[in-house]
This record gives sequence, structure tokens and C-alpha cells, in this order.
Amino acid sequence: MHVMPKSRVTREYMSTSPSKTQEVTTEYLGKLLADVANTRSRRAFSELFKHFAPRLQAFATRQFGNEQTAMDLVQDTMTNVWHKAHLFSPEKGSPTTWIFTIARNIRFDILRKNKHRQNDVSAEDLWPVLSEEMSDSSEDNFALDQNILMQEIGEYYNVLPDAQRIVIEQIYIQGKSQQEVSDELDIPLGTVKSRTRLALQKLKELITAHD
Amino acid sequence: MIKFHPTEELLVKYTQGELDASLCLVIGTHIDMCPVCANTVKDIEENVAAEMLNKSSRFATAEMDNMLEQIMSSSAPQTVFREPTLKEVSLEGKQFKVPPTLGRLGSRLGPWSKVPGSVWRAPVDIEGEQNINLIYMAAGAAVPEHTHRGSEATLVLNGSFADEYDRYDDGDFIYLGDSHRHSPQTAQEDCLTLAWLDAPLQFTSGVARLLNPFSSLFFR
Ligand SMILES: [Zn+2]
Repeated sequence: MHVMPKSRVTREYMSTSPSKTQEVTTEYLGKLLADVANTRSRRAFSELFKHFAPRLQAFATRQFGNEQTAMDLVQDTMTNVWHKAHLFSPEKGSPTTWIFTIARNIRFDILRKNKHRQNDVSAEDLWPVLSEEMSDSSEDNFALDQNILMQEIGEYYNVLPDAQRIVIEQIYIQGKSQQEVSDELDIPLGTVKSRTRLALQKLKELITAHD
Repeated sequence: MIKFHPTEELLVKYTQGELDASLCLVIGTHIDMCPVCANTVKDIEENVAAEMLNKSSRFATAEMDNMLEQIMSSSAPQTVFREPTLKEVSLEGKQFKVPPTLGRLGSRLGPWSKVPGSVWRAPVDIEGEQNINLIYMAAGAAVPEHTHRGSEATLVLNGSFADEYDRYDDGDFIYLGDSHRHSPQTAQEDCLTLAWLDAPLQFTSGVARLLNPFSSLFFR
């Protein structure tokens, strides 16, 4: 199916054994995408690349039967993952699905460019995967950041003392105001504020320490 | 309540990008209007993605490192915005809201022209061929009975029409294979549809047959 020139076969990328690869979870891939989006983490992107590039290559080779075109698809797709990771939203689907839809769009455009020269419809018009929302939907952007944040924070959550965790949950997950939390838990507003501050500080430390 | 949806087979091909851009436009516009199909497509996407990306090829290490380095030192691709350019169409003194998928291709909508039988059409120029049209039927309008050499997909954007088989309302998607004959007509209500043909239609009854040599002027 995909025949590699002999010179390239010498050292194949086989360091991840198949069983290990299969254990890569959706959550873990999502975390890697979040790291790329938030901190431009080259390490996280390398891991994503090593997971997805060989899969994209197998997919593209089946589709095109042409090794060079297949490699172009891999490179274009992963270039978009590197630059546009912030557009991934776990709400809309898994990382595998998101990356597949990018590859699907690129394939669609490649196939059409061969047939029609001008005035092509781009796949992005039909399936907007890599388009930024316009400014008036800034709430969605906010929601996206919040999601990535919550996803990361989730892992460090249990480290917090109960009193701080409860306050953080009510404010950031249930969306209550600090005053409402103060009323409901029957603790002074100043205490809510200081617990929030301490908890966020602790979370920040944990997140940056693990990066 | 939408009664008629694309088949699962069509939705799978749509998700895989295996259909014409113009048919994708009709199906995508239906999905804008139909939460049921929007959900189905989400599921299909997850399944297709898992299946398509489930096998790894053997990727030479040197080649991999090289590509990885190129990507991480590349400059960012242009930012694209997804704002629809067309929000509504006006016809015969009425305004019709346009779903976003069609709206994003709005600049490709050509001028309206009148067709016999109180019917108007405006072509949408996709890939330089004109096999997709907005078709507006005034109340009490009829398209003469016809058949198709190819297939026909019709999406009701607003209003209602009927043929020999059923009645179709907002959001309904009707896909007819070749050799299906039908004569669409409206009653008290007018109807705006997005219609896709993969070959010119053929009129089948009486005097309307005289139109056949010119049928491509009407709906294609
Ligand atoms: Zn539907």
C-alpha cells in the first residue's frame, strides 16, 4: 500500500509500541492540545505529532495513492494543529475527530484543485473547522478558554483543601457570585474572597510546576 | 418539525467529503436547520475519524523529525473568519432568512430570473457549474411534471410545497434518484427551496415536453 524508498526504511519510527499507542486517551490528547494552545509547548506538539502524523500518513496514502501528496496532507494538517490548537474545543468532539476534520477539509481542497482552477469553493466554507469566531461571539471564546482551564484544573483539584475547593466549585463551575457563595455557605464575603485567591494561587503554582 | 432527512449513507459521504461541493452545500444547509441531523453528523464524525485514523504507517524517524522542525518554525497560516456574507434574500417584496452554510457562499448567488409557472430561480455558482439554484414558487405555482436523468436534492428553506408523494415544509430534505417523476406545486403558501440537480430535468407530460430542449435554461 505505502512503499517507502529503501533508504528511509533504515530507522523507522517504532519507538511507541502499538499497545502503548492505543492507551493514549482522549483526555490526554486534549491536554496536549491545550498545552500547545496555551503555552506553545513544543514537547506537547511533538507528542501529538508522533501520535497523529503516522495515522494521517496512512489515511492520506490510502486516499491519494501518491506518497508526495500524502506527505503534503500530513504536513498541512499538522501545521494547522500547531498554529490553531486554540480553536479545538472538547465540547465539539475528540481531538482525533478535530484533526480528522482538518485533514478531511485539506483532502477535499486538494482533490478539487486538480479538477477546477479558479473560483473554487473551499472546504472551510462548507465545514468551518479552522475559522475564528467573529468578535460579537466573544462569549464562545470565553467559554472555550474556560473549558481548557477547567480541564487542566480538574487534575489538580483534589489537592486543594475542602474549604477552598467548595468555594472554587461554586464560583467557577456553578457560576455563582462571591456574594451568593458567602450567603449560601454562611461565611463572610472576605473569607470567600481570600479562599478564592488562595485556591487560584495554589492551582496556578500546580499548573506551572507541571508544565 | 422536520419530516424528511438525508439518509445516513448520504450523511456519511458528506462527512467524509465524498460528495460534490454543491450537494454538500444543500446537506450542510439542512444540517443548519436540523438539530437531529446535526447530532447524527457529530456521531458519524467521531466514528469516521476513529476508523480513518486508526492505523499508523511506518514513518521514518529522520523524515518525521524534519517535518516536525519545519512545522514548528513555520509562520502561522492566515486567519479565516466564518461570518456569512448573505443574511437574507428578498423576493417579491418578501424577506427570507438564509442559514449560515448557504450564507457563507452568498456571494455566489446570481440574479433572479422568472421561469414559466410563477416560478423564479437564482443560480448559485459552485465550481463554475450551475446545477444548484434557489427556486421560489409563488402561492398556487406549479412546475410541470418532470423526471431526471440524474438525481435531484431539494431543501425547503421556507414555506411549503407538495408533489404526488407528500407535502414538504421548512427544513425538509428530499432526495430523488433518477426515473422518479414528480410535479411540485404550491397551494396557499409560497415556497423557497434550494435545489440541486446532477443532470437537467426532463419534462414528461403534454405540451411541457416542448420545453425539454430548453430545460437546462430553467433549472440548470
Ligand atoms: Zn435532518
